[in-house]
Amino acid sequence: MTTTSTQSSAAATIVASAARAGKYLTFFLAGEEYGLEILKVSEIIGMQAITRVPRTPDFVRGVINLRGKVIPITDLRLKFGMDASTEQESCIIVVQLRDVQTGIVVDRVSEVVMLAEADIADPPDFANGVQTDLLLGIGKAGGCVRLLLDIDKVLAAHEVAQLTESTMAHPV
Amino acid sequence: MIPTSLDDAVALLMQLEVTDTGDLTVLQEALVTMAFENRVSSAQQPHVARAARLLGTITNGSSTNALADLGSVSAALDQALNARVVNDANAHVRAAPGKSQTKSRAKPRTKNPAKSRAQPAVIANTIDNSVVERLPEPRTIAGESLPDDADLSLLRDFLSEAGEYIAASEVALLTLEANPREFEAVNTVFRAFHTVKGTAAFLGLAHIAEFAHEAESLLMRVRDRQINYGPACADLALRSVDMLKSLLGAVEDALVGDGLLLHPSGYHALMTALDEYNPAVDCESLQTAPASDAPSRVARVESTTEATIRVRIDRLDRLINMVGELVIAQTMIAGDPHMAGAQSPELTRKVNHAGKIVRELQELSMSMRMVPLRSTFQKLARVVRDTASKVGKSVQFTTDGDDVEIDRNLVDILADPLVHMVRNAVDHGIEQSDDRDRAGKSRTGSVRLSAYHSSGNVVVDLIDDGGGLHRDRIVDKAIENGLIESDRGMTDNEVFNLIFAPGFSTAENVTEISGRGVGLDVVRRNLELIRGRLEITSTAGAGTTFSLRLPLTLAVTEGMLVRVGVERFVIPLTQIHMSFRPEPSMLSTVVGQGEMVLRRGVLMPIVRLHRTFSVQGAIENPLAALLVIVGDGAQRTALMVDELLGQQQVVAKPLGEALGRIPGFSGGAILGDGRVGLILDVRETMSLTTPLLQLAS
Repeated sequence: MTTTSTQSSAAATIVASAARAGKYLTFFLAGEEYGLEILKVSEIIGMQAITRVPRTPDFVRGVINLRGKVIPITDLRLKFGMDASTEQESCIIVVQLRDVQTGIVVDRVSEVVMLAEADIADPPDFANGVQTDLLLGIGKAGGCVRLLLDIDKVLAAHEVAQLTESTMAHPV
Repeated sequence: MIPTSLDDAVALLMQLEVTDTGDLTVLQEALVTMAFENRVSSAQQPHVARAARLLGTITNGSSTNALADLGSVSAALDQALNARVVNDANAHVRAAPGKSQTKSRAKPRTKNPAKSRAQPAVIANTIDNSVVERLPEPRTIAGESLPDDADLSLLRDFLSEAGEYIAASEVALLTLEANPREFEAVNTVFRAFHTVKGTAAFLGLAHIAEFAHEAESLLMRVRDRQINYGPACADLALRSVDMLKSLLGAVEDALVGDGLLLHPSGYHALMTALDEYNPAVDCESLQTAPASDAPSRVARVESTTEATIRVRIDRLDRLINMVGELVIAQTMIAGDPHMAGAQSPELTRKVNHAGKIVRELQELSMSMRMVPLRSTFQKLARVVRDTASKVGKSVQFTTDGDDVEIDRNLVDILADPLVHMVRNAVDHGIEQSDDRDRAGKSRTGSVRLSAYHSSGNVVVDLIDDGGGLHRDRIVDKAIENGLIESDRGMTDNEVFNLIFAPGFSTAENVTEISGRGVGLDVVRRNLELIRGRLEITSTAGAGTTFSLRLPLTLAVTEGMLVRVGVERFVIPLTQIHMSFRPEPSMLSTVVGQGEMVLRRGVLMPIVRLHRTFSVQGAIENPLAALLVIVGDGAQRTALMVDELLGQQQVVAKPLGEALGRIPGFSGGAILGDGRVGLILDVRETMSLTTPLLQLAS
């Protein structure tokens, strides 16, 4: 019995990680390098005037006009509890999640890398409560470590909604 | 030349040789079109199809004996022509009463075959005799499925087309009821059922075909003057229309659902009723109408519209949105600082020229989605009739301004409120005939719908000559409900608007208006949704007028751009009553925190937008700020803003699904400088500050 279950879980891991291999767009946030599945990225645009939307959490920077479409912008630094950006090079990566477009503010876009299965490790378990469930894995190719984001989870709408509610509960 | 009718095809064939491959191909394609797009009757269809197939073998060279095959083509077409002649002959035979007659072809179409073929929508679906003959007597079926091989897009087209036919027949039936000799109306209804029957049979919707067939039989007897169109018959016909609606609704449900067709309740009962209808109930002399003019009244719709094509509404919406974008993009170019400082008059001229084209394009694209209010009004005729007969009142319903056009998207939202209001007008507005007698009015009440343009809006007036609203009673009730403290300074319109407050209908003693609140707050909410406004004028004893003021279109909103600190917001112009800079004497506070402003006797809470939306750098002193008065009646609120930046047309857009619904805002709009401006949802903004409002009242 024990052997069987071990085998099946190993198989599951292989299946899960097999889906992780592919091209990643990497970018910097507060000195750390992150990766994003390239298939989720629809474009990269320069920083532009963002209209703040009241009564939303801090990390929702507001909305912008993307060629006539109004899309929301999330600041990943604020989302991850880092300090607000001081970098000049901030830019917006527009990601396509199913049929919803949304933008994320990052410090700097780096490159597109091809990561093979062997290059991706499972996120380690930190004892001190670091959120690892937002990570697909850790890319270790080319001598640098890249945190591969599960962008769907990062931008999960329900989380935004929850935060909106909590802001609502304490109106300013 | 591409032949469009069988006659043309035969004529063309006679001129052709086996070697005219090009022309033969054209002919073959035309025949295929005829055969498979319902241009010919089902009796002709196999012959035409065979002719097309044979022609195909000739043109692609696979025919071994082209000359003989060409002869066969000719023979097949002859057979097809003969099949039609048989049909037409049937149509002219005065059929005997009862079911047998329905087997004859209902559409005489010898008069002008080419012309009738030019309107395929009307004549297209001649039904398959065999289907009708096979129809069993009413059976007990719990439900059936959509046919396995159902073509979904065809089904959808059928639904939308059938919907139009039903709407037309409903109108015709009401006309008929008013004037039973209006035989063109019978024909309209008859055609509607007939077409629905044909298409339904073609699509394998047997029970719809079956039902339409029964209803059609009844109408055919009316058309052929065998029975009189009396009240019982009228009722049956209207019920049939309703049933057909439910049946189509079931198909629609099946389309989106599990494909299971449910039989609406009452299906079998109505089938039986149709079957057993006894004309003696409506017995009246039938002989008064000259029988001779019956054959001359050929069933034919003269199309009043020019050539049209159907376009999917979402495509149209996208086009209109894109043009909206284009307008804004153009404004951005024209307003660019580089343009203002442009040294080249040539460039300025070009940009202006482009601007002119863009504006024309916008007008044109807007007009494409405009539909006349006629069909909306016509549906209400039915509502009036049903409500009046239910409450036993005699009501005459008239409309004018049916041609006034309005955005199609508005029509759907407008329909419900109008039904509510019309029903209310008949139910509560119009008095019983005896009461009207006593009041010296004619026994028949009048409800009138009138639409017209007024300063860029469409106004729909609903006018009844009933008992009217009683201001004093409404005021008493409102004070009792705690809606207002006194009616001092309130205009009649403001007082009457109180009946739209939620819960106002719980009035028990106010007989004249009780019940008028039912659903009326829903009416108002729907109207706000489409940025409409409602005004009420009423004279006790003489009637009430509800005026709905609607924007022409939802595609573009007239907004007032306001600045609050570093932010800019758009307030829909229709929501704004006025704006002013308050004077010290106008301001007061309640319990030290709720701020109020008193203007022309109306006390309104002040909402500091910068506080509600936590905006930096806004003016804190109300005396230095501007107050924008929004909302209706007792709900008036003063929004405090820094300044008005001007009026602007904006295209409202959702704020991105990822953000979800943000309280206080109905959407975003791209402003002239390319940035996004948030559009204020006035009602929500007011409710965000409800604690203050409650304190205030």
